Amino acid sequence: MWYSVKKAFTNLLSPPQTIDYPATPIKRVERYRGLIEYGEEHCIYCLKCEKACPPGAILFTHTDTPTENPKNKKSLAYDYNPHLCIYCGECVRACPKPNEALWQSEKKPGIGVKEDRVNERWFEVEGRKGS
Amino acid sequence: MGRKIIDIPLGSQHISLLEPIKFRFACENEKIVDVSSDVGFVHRGIEKACTTKFAYDAVPYVVARICGLCAITHSLAYTTAAESLLEGVVTRRAKYLRMLLVELDRIHSHMLCLSHTAENAGFEAMFMRIMGDRESVMDIQERITGNRVQFDYVSIGGVNRDITTDIEKEIRKTLAFIREKTHGYLEEFTTNWSLSLKFKGVGVLTLDEAYRYNAIGPLARAAGLATDVRSETDYLPYNEIGYEMRVGEGGDIYSRNIVRLFEILNSITMCENILGGLPEGEIQTKMKGKPTGEALVRLEAPRGELMYYIRGEGKAMLSRVRIKTPTFASIPAFIEVFKGSEYADAPAILASFDPCMSCTAK
Ligand code: SF4
Ligand code: SF4
Repeated sequence: MWYSVKKAFTNLLSPPQTIDYPATPIKRVERYRGLIEYGEEHCIYCLKCEKACPPGAILFTHTDTPTENPKNKKSLAYDYNPHLCIYCGECVRACPKPNEALWQSEKKPGIGVKEDRVNERWFEVEGRKGS
Repeated sequence: MGRKIIDIPLGSQHISLLEPIKFRFACENEKIVDVSSDVGFVHRGIEKACTTKFAYDAVPYVVARICGLCAITHSLAYTTAAESLLEGVVTRRAKYLRMLLVELDRIHSHMLCLSHTAENAGFEAMFMRIMGDRESVMDIQERITGNRVQFDYVSIGGVNRDITTDIEKEIRKTLAFIREKTHGYLEEFTTNWSLSLKFKGVGVLTLDEAYRYNAIGPLARAAGLATDVRSETDYLPYNEIGYEMRVGEGGDIYSRNIVRLFEILNSITMCENILGGLPEGEIQTKMKGKPTGEALVRLEAPRGELMYYIRGEGKAMLSRVRIKTPTFASIPAFIEVFKGSEYADAPAILASFDPCMSCTAK
């Protein structure tokens, strides 16, 4: 019981556990799992990343304005949904050219707001994929 | 006057509940004489999704989302089952890293339970303190896996990230901090009247009942039943890292708290031994083929035995995934404990079971 009483008093004098946000910024750990980034010029369009992705956050769909990349024989365009992604990194592990064509950054996604048409835009991409 | 029995519900929404569960207590005066329960309020159809929406290699990430507290144990149980169907061998380093994360999970899960037990005794300050200290465990898990809650650490073939010497140092520092804190909690849980006197003899599960109603995990061990999947299976080399079973006596809330506290201490020792004896080698092995056949895996989650049954027919999609979670298996024992208790003790008893409804309803 005395231990508890002593603890209660020392607790009064100890600093709080919480941080003074936003005056003190939240510290980001090293190797934080963040957004997936794509380097189109190195991509060989093997579509392994699309196949590996558990929630289907990477999709390659047909486009009429394909990139110059000679590997892009089927006129595909890369699409990525940061709000669907679970940041597992499976795509990067599946990619034959990690760090060049696909890599995991430490950036955070922006907040998905209505103006960005986050959902509608993605439904369109999924619709193109399905058709 | 005859006996008058009144039905009092607890849940599905109740101030003392963390997650939706419903009990209906038939009470005679203050005594609970009969109990019925309902657990399916957070059903998400995960078993079905695992066989219709996701290929077998994506399932570890799906099952990890069953529960935020024992995400690692879920994905690990599944991957162990899938690996046995693919007949792959995981490197020893990967196994050690898996055990490290499972034990860290156990530490913070037990801390969460203890904090809620303290809260239910009216000891709000203790709740805050334990939750604050628990944050340091979450921090090292974030350092290892890159995320604070959804670790996505285990995948078929091994683990996704290795640890560096910097991280190792940080883990050791945190473990030493938690060990010191846990000794403090032990002192308080045994000497503070709110936590010791109040809880002694309340919510008793006898050894005989534990046998008969198939209690598992800390609930069973507190009643004196020596059962722990860690000592019964050998997918993970627990015998090499200093695992010790702690069996309590009395089977009351107090005894469950003490068992959990000692398990935290044992898990800390195991984590240190893992870091000390971490084998060299790769963390991933490539596994080929599609799962064919049946596999059943048991693992000790923080709340007791977690069981995964999977069946594959050589296709990318599995034909069956069945998950039996510890809370679900313990419900008959819960009901038995409630019978004969005071209604006013029900929230405290329930918190001491450490029920996880997301797991149960999946
Ligand atoms: S990190 Fe995971 S969820 Fe995100 S795009 Fe890659 S594979 Fe898909
Ligand atoms: S796996 Fe890599 S190379 Fe292949 S399509 Fe995806 S980004 Fe391109």
